[in-house]
Amino acid sequence: MADLTKKKFSLGKIWREYSYIFVMVIIILVYAITVASNGVTFKFSHIASILGSQNTCIVGTMALGMALVVITGNIDLSLGSGLVLCTGCSILVFNLTGSAILMFLAAIAAGALCGLVNGVLIGLAKMQAFIATLGTMLIYRSLTLSVVRAIPQEISGSNSSQFAMIAGTPTYEALRKFGTGKIANAIPWITILFIVLSVVIIIISKKTKFGKSVYAIGSNANAARLAGINVTGVKIMVFVITGILVGFASFIQACKIGNITPASSGQSYEMYAVAAIVLGGISMSGGKGNLVGIIFGAISYSAINFIIVSIPALSVDIQNAFQGLVLIVVILVQTLGPIFKEKIQTAKKRKAALAAEN
Amino acid sequence: MAILEMKHISKAFGGSKALNDVHLTIEEGEIHALLGENGAGKSTLMNILTGVIEADAGTITWQGQLYPSPTIAQMEDAGIAFVHQELSVINDLSVTDNIFLCHELKNKLGIINYAEEVKRTKELFESLGVDMNPYTMVSELKTAEKQLLEICRALYKDAKLIILDEPTTALSNDEIAHLFGIVKNLKTKGKSFIFISHKMPEIFELCDKYTVFRNGEYISSGYIKDTNPHAITSDMVGTTYVDADVYESRPLGDVVLELKHYSGHGFEDVNLELRKGEIIAFTGLAGCGASELMQTMFGALPRDGGRMYVNGKELYGDAIIDYMKNSVAMLPANRKENSVVGEMTIMENFVIADHAITKNKLFINKSSDNERFEGQKDDLNIKCYEPNVVPITGLSGGNQQKVFLARWLNTGADVLLFDNPTQGVDVGAKAEIYKLILGFAKEGKSVIINTLEIPEIKKVADRCLVFYEGKIKKEFKHEEVNEHDVMLYSTNAIETEGKAN
Repeated sequence: MADLTKKKFSLGKIWREYSYIFVMVIIILVYAITVASNGVTFKFSHIASILGSQNTCIVGTMALGMALVVITGNIDLSLGSGLVLCTGCSILVFNLTGSAILMFLAAIAAGALCGLVNGVLIGLAKMQAFIATLGTMLIYRSLTLSVVRAIPQEISGSNSSQFAMIAGTPTYEALRKFGTGKIANAIPWITILFIVLSVVIIIISKKTKFGKSVYAIGSNANAARLAGINVTGVKIMVFVITGILVGFASFIQACKIGNITPASSGQSYEMYAVAAIVLGGISMSGGKGNLVGIIFGAISYSAINFIIVSIPALSVDIQNAFQGLVLIVVILVQTLGPIFKEKIQTAKKRKAALAAEN
Repeated sequence: MAILEMKHISKAFGGSKALNDVHLTIEEGEIHALLGENGAGKSTLMNILTGVIEADAGTITWQGQLYPSPTIAQMEDAGIAFVHQELSVINDLSVTDNIFLCHELKNKLGIINYAEEVKRTKELFESLGVDMNPYTMVSELKTAEKQLLEICRALYKDAKLIILDEPTTALSNDEIAHLFGIVKNLKTKGKSFIFISHKMPEIFELCDKYTVFRNGEYISSGYIKDTNPHAITSDMVGTTYVDADVYESRPLGDVVLELKHYSGHGFEDVNLELRKGEIIAFTGLAGCGASELMQTMFGALPRDGGRMYVNGKELYGDAIIDYMKNSVAMLPANRKENSVVGEMTIMENFVIADHAITKNKLFINKSSDNERFEGQKDDLNIKCYEPNVVPITGLSGGNQQKVFLARWLNTGADVLLFDNPTQGVDVGAKAEIYKLILGFAKEGKSVIINTLEIPEIKKVADRCLVFYEGKIKKEFKHEEVNEHDVMLYSTNAIETEGKAN
């Protein structure tokens, strides 16, 4: 049994608990070096552009939901398709009404509905999350595609393959300013929204009874049920929250980009979200993980893109390979570290024991 | 000559010593009881012997050869087999496949000669007196049969020393007798056994020698015939352990729980009245329906018929929270599967049930939770530090079980259903748990415990209901409870005798 009465300051422990911060710092340092080697001074604006990028704010927001889903021991493959559907809905509502509030509500409502469908299939119908969300992933995207093909251009706001916000109104200008502008010329507005959402989700996960029940279900669903937790209800709720976060991500997408292409936008975003939560130090096995890591994980993940772009010799094509490599290295360090440590310690102790005998 | 000698073995995890300079010597053809409370270091030593973990110091000599840092494969090849408490047979393969797993009989193309495997399996079973169909899927076997299968697998690989880790916990008396028959038979063939168990009668029936550990230290060893259960128990527990009778009768109050023609999975037509302050014991063989009845009374299994009233209110349905809100609590059997939320701290494990009831108050009130835990910690004598940091898995079995008792007391329940509450709990903690149960009754709570251990019933129960095949066969009052009579009814020997006459 481990000695649990004594608290010890150790570098290993800090690394294990806050690895996501180290990972982010290292990645940003590498980025600073590549920028500097191009003869450009590394400034705060470089960091601001990472903070305001699609991978931080849009993928990051969805990763918050994915993390809750992963902690319950499930997965949601429909995030990218959900993003397309919700953004489509919200742009459609904007083009029809011209109202920012209705547009926002449309995104959230569509997201909650998508999440509810997933949640009912998994929680109530007891389907495996992988299969259920694989199905809805195909459905959500293809539905959106069919709609954009069928509706007239005055409503879709663009050609027959894209939803685009119709420009020219003050509301449009305000929304786009929110999507692309910065507060005090330093931090993008959408980053603030992402951070606020992160804080809300972190508080839910740490300070509420619901949050604890999410962890309990992922750790031992049977024990959770026998302790009175409504396992089905919590699972459905987690998917609905995830859907609502997809709604927020869709609102950010609409404001930042102004359009969405159902056939190609948001592809693999669910996998990027997984990458962000893993870089954020959350275990895929469920039941544990600190959601604070997501903020850092999302920033780390998008910073990798910036590194590639800043090295002139590399083409964008290599981006995914590079991201994959970083992901594997980070996880390798986390899994191999303790194994090596154990080996070294045992060897040391045996040596000491032998020396004592002689 | 000793077949196995382990000397000066030490092992530390982090800062704490799990084993400190312990010894174990096994002779050929001997059944050796390895004894100690949970956390005494028995499992750690067995893991070192089988190569699962490496010792920090000490020597292992097996059949005259020194093994400085053994691996799992090495020790298996050398003839040491470990039959774990959590069985490691593969459910989705046949009996034969399991025996030959990793040692398949293959031709040059790598194709398995299944007919030959089956033939050899049959021969093996015959030589051991095991009655099992080689073609059966393991998932269809009973626990006892799986255990035998695991032993057979070890023997097929020509194991000379077999470690049995609490092999009888899940077995009925007939199955235990069968297992012991086989073990004794193998002993005459020169096989050695290390037998880990908490049940004294078994140890005195089966074993030749014993070794006792306490808190990772070697305490004593010797011949079973030269000692007695009391001496061994005090070696295990340390400070003179008193097996005192703590039972005293109490005045009973009104009926708080009533079952009328209650039926469900594995039991039928149960009628029962539980009074305020009363302790009732359910007992019977494994599969007699008592555990299922208890789970149904908590909404964890579906009810087929009949009614249940608690404080005059009918309870039904599968929402466990409804039962909890009407002050029913159930401590389930199999702590690891049904109670432990392994990734969570002691505190989180403690508050989980209360939080389920009060979930409409969204935010956690940490200071109130802390206060309530401290209260329970003192009442139940839970030994732990920093409950907000230490994971539940950092506690010994007995302390874990007390945390789960506290979990339910914290919900304010006054009908307490305890399914096998002392399972996997060491002797000292067992006695404490009996005392606690009696204390709850004194405070006016009503308790039902389900247990297979008759001495336990004698210690706490006001009356005892014996189940056989889903029906109540007999009711004993506290004074009438004795091992012999209870067994008579739980095995239904009484009716078998009647028919024979």
